[in-house]
Parts: sequence; structure tokens; C-alpha cells
Amino acid sequence: MTYVVTDNCIKCKYMDCVEVCPVDCFYEGENMLVIHPDECIDCGVCEPECPAEAIVPDTQGSLEKWLKLNAEYASQWPNITVKRDPPPDAKEFDGVPEKYAKFFSPKPGQGD
Amino acid sequence: MNAITMREFAETRDVSEQAIGRLVDAFYTKVRADPELGPIFMRAIPGDWDPHLSTMRNFWSSVMLTGGRYKGNPVAVHRRVEGIEFRLFERWLALFDETCRELFDKELAEAFRMKAERIAESLKLAVFYRPDRPWPPSAA
Repeated sequence: MTYVVTDNCIKCKYMDCVEVCPVDCFYEGENMLVIHPDECIDCGVCEPECPAEAIVPDTQGSLEKWLKLNAEYASQWPNITVKRDPPPDAKEFDGVPEKYAKFFSPKPGQGD
Repeated sequence: MNAITMREFAETRDVSEQAIGRLVDAFYTKVRADPELGPIFMRAIPGDWDPHLSTMRNFWSSVMLTGGRYKGNPVAVHRRVEGIEFRLFERWLALFDETCRELFDKELAEAFRMKAERIAESLKLAVFYRPDRPWPPSAA
């Protein structure tokens, strides 16, 4: 059981979650974060911290694509535990539908 | 001593930190005295318990108050525990809930119990899940 980062993180990447996570299980891509499913302890602390409401528990249905994406990129991207400034245009992209198809980048972010 | 209420816990940081301190101290006193859990915990933490109690206060503070004070890898730590057994998670949860109910009102005890159960489930999966075996593992 784990929490999962979903579509609305893309291009918003506020990073509030990384500061509160007790187990440092966030990994940073160029324009989104993911949760490492084997490190997340399901404490739920990150969920209400996300201004974009992009973090959901895996008990919620229809998350197969996101579960797979989180697992895959958590093992490729660098760990992030310290929040930086979010992208300057984060607010403009908050709530834009179907961001994965339009904007997802598989490139790693800078990490800590 | 009066039970700490959810309202007090949510309103004042001092109260909530004290509540967590009392819970951790009382709970691990029970754990060490428990015939099943005691020997495993004493083997895993053979020396001074103060650092562990401090770690656990930080952990529960991070989980309940979202201060980010604990940073660690509990999955890796639990995988290393000698003698850890699936069924002992139930014992741990029962003792934890008992301690919460002794110190807190019903609502606050329930909030701790729900967090503890979720975390326990995820630690159980991390330590014991094997893709080629049934889940949950049989009690044998």
C-alpha cells in the first residue's frame, strides 16, 4: 500500500510534500515528482500538503497507470527531500486536464 | 490524570507534543514487559533506549503533526529485525491501541489507531510480501 503522485503534479511540482515525508520517498523528475512504492509507509502525511491535490492513496480505483509510472521513475530519478521554489508558472498549470499526454517528461530532475 | 482530548491535541502544540511523549514512554514500557514483543525489541535495541524513544517521538510527531522532524527508513529497519513475525504486528497494534485508550479520549485514540494500522500494513507488506506466495501469509 502506498500513496501515488498523479497527473496534476506535472508542471506544478510544488514540492511541499518532500518536507513533511517522514521516510524521504519522493523522487524528482524534470517536471513532476513520484513516490517510491517500496519506501512509502502509507502514513498519509503528504496528501493534504499537496496544493495541487495530486497525491492519492492507491486504494482509490483506476490508478494502474500512475502506480506503474511512480514505481518506474522512482528507481530512475534522484531523491528529493528539500523543497525548492516551484516553477514560476506552476499556478497556470494547476488544474489543466490531461497533462501527462501534453507535458510529461521522463527526464530526471536535479534532486537534492 | 485526565485523558487528553482530540480537541486539546489539535489546538495546542505543547499539548500534542507532550501527548506523544507520554504515549511513546508508556507504550514502550509495555512493549519491553510483553512476553512476545519484549525479547525481540530488547534484542534489536540492546543498550540505551533513550535514542529509540526520542526517534519514536519524532516519528509520531511527524506523522500526527506533519512537522517533518523524523527522517528515516523504517522499511529497511524492520527488514533487519531478527525474529520479526507477521503475527506480532497484531500484538504491537493491540498494545499500542490499549495505551492510546488509556491516555487519550476515544476520538484521539482512534486517530492514532488508524495511522498505526495503515503504517503496520505497509510495513508487513514490505517485510513479508512475496509475489509467489498467498497474501496474507497463513498463520502457521
